[in-house]
Amino acid sequence: MSKKIVEQEKRAFMTGNEVVAWAALAAKADIMYGYPITPQNEIMHYWTRMAPKYEKSFLQTEDELSAGFTTIGGVMAGRKAFTATAGPGNTLMQEPMSMAEMMRLPTVVVVQQRGGPSTATVIYSQQEVTMTSIGGNGEGMRIVYSTSSHQELYDYTIKAFNTAWKYRFPTFVLGDGYQAKMRESLTLYDPEARGIELIPPEAYVGKEGVPGKDRPPAHFRNTYNMEEELYELVMDALQDYEKISPDVAEYHSAGIEDAELVIVGHGIVYRAIKAAVEAMREKGLRVGYFRPVTLRPLPVPQIKELMASNKQILLMESSYGQLARLFKDVAYGSSTKINTFFKPGMGITAEEVEAAAREILK
Amino acid sequence: MSKRIVEAYTGEYAGGKSENALNRALALARQGRIVTLVDLDIVEPVYTLRPIQEELRALGINVIAWKTAETVGLGEAGTTLKPGARWALRHEGDIILDIGYGVEGTRTLNLLEGAATDQDLQVIAVINISRPMTAEVKDIVEHVREMGRVDALLNNTHLADETTPEVVQEGARVVAEAARHLGLPVVATAAVTSIAEEIGDVDCMGNPVRVLTRYMQKAFW
Repeated sequence: MSKKIVEQEKRAFMTGNEVVAWAALAAKADIMYGYPITPQNEIMHYWTRMAPKYEKSFLQTEDELSAGFTTIGGVMAGRKAFTATAGPGNTLMQEPMSMAEMMRLPTVVVVQQRGGPSTATVIYSQQEVTMTSIGGNGEGMRIVYSTSSHQELYDYTIKAFNTAWKYRFPTFVLGDGYQAKMRESLTLYDPEARGIELIPPEAYVGKEGVPGKDRPPAHFRNTYNMEEELYELVMDALQDYEKISPDVAEYHSAGIEDAELVIVGHGIVYRAIKAAVEAMREKGLRVGYFRPVTLRPLPVPQIKELMASNKQILLMESSYGQLARLFKDVAYGSSTKINTFFKPGMGITAEEVEAAAREILK
Repeated sequence: MSKRIVEAYTGEYAGGKSENALNRALALARQGRIVTLVDLDIVEPVYTLRPIQEELRALGINVIAWKTAETVGLGEAGTTLKPGARWALRHEGDIILDIGYGVEGTRTLNLLEGAATDQDLQVIAVINISRPMTAEVKDIVEHVREMGRVDALLNNTHLADETTPEVVQEGARVVAEAARHLGLPVVATAAVTSIAEEIGDVDCMGNPVRVLTRYMQKAFW
């Protein structure tokens, strides 16, 4: 048995990509499949630097289609497999992840969003929300954690493996280029030492015994001849998805009770929102924030409650309304005003959050 | 004026190369020396000290780095060496080289005219033991040996805003031990002003303490 990546808890100063590689090792991932694309490259760099020391594997594929499909192959063979990508790589990843969705296979994809559309910038955006949450040809039966710090990248990468293998829906950790490249401190820990049980992978194919006689056949399909057959399967999967959604959905909020204005945002933008809300609170302004951690599934009851409370909403994101579309779908029927602040492909600072909030409160 | 100083700062990704290089350049300039700072990040010129070069120039140093306007239109065109950087060692005065993106290490120096024969060139590996890849003596030794030419180590151990003198001193001990294994000197320990003041002029291993002002956070990267 290979040695543990983290023997004892410690504070470390790292880049986000590096954190993801360490988290995957801490989660006992067996293999990474990948194709290079900025800004996620150092996930691969650090994984490949460390993998030999911990008896782990890596395969560089010819593109992201292949990286996604080989990840699925690794999973079917009983390996805790994962991949990481960004931007146009994420676009290609939609095809294999749709297949994982159809076959109900656990997959973990770490996305470090870059500017779009297309190749655009290598730097940053929140423009992969729609694609990651409801991309592919299907119904968006995925789980998407939007992180906002290196600690969360570590925590949620570890969690993503458990979530994927527990519920068997494709699971994504949605970071961005800022989180990928920026440096900050976090606590590295061994999840098992903290009492987090890591779900072991199992082989879905190539099992012992005769299929149909000793065990049910391992029949993983993504093609159906008859619409009725497909309909039944998709509806079953959707029912499962709806059932687990309340258990999976996560959010953070503060100051909502007496707030006149609640600022909504996710990921790294939430960091700016939180800083601005704290600064404005100190100055006596009645503001709060609501931050979905899971973009799929969204924390539906909490959003409905928020929208029923007669406060104003200010929704801010580094895209032209990708979170807003998901949010408004849940908020439908409420007359609460949703103000928006969209900056596709650009960062949003705490100063900008405060200025936008003050404009509304004026 | 004493002999020309030529230093190349290299090391692990996010280890503090740029911050130490630019602080060294500014410190030399404050002594009235002529200093040229060279950004040698050929992999990711969108990151690095590009956004703060005007600020650095205003503080009295020459900077060879891409300007935003010059890189607009390049896209992800692969590696780009600013032509002026190739001839950097021919400049008058002190030359401080910031070797970006640690993966290729000091091999980047091969792109500079005269690097192989420059008698004054000293390659300094910047080490932060809070970086998990260079946390222990054996990791540092392995890392430095992989880097190619390295002439000295610099202890840049910190935990950003959580840094304490103890964190830095522990780094000084570990880096000194690694340097002993490698047969290399330690040129300095670097720390931000408040920490450096607490430690004093020398660290617990007797190496000089360099005072850092943080500029790179303004560069976003």
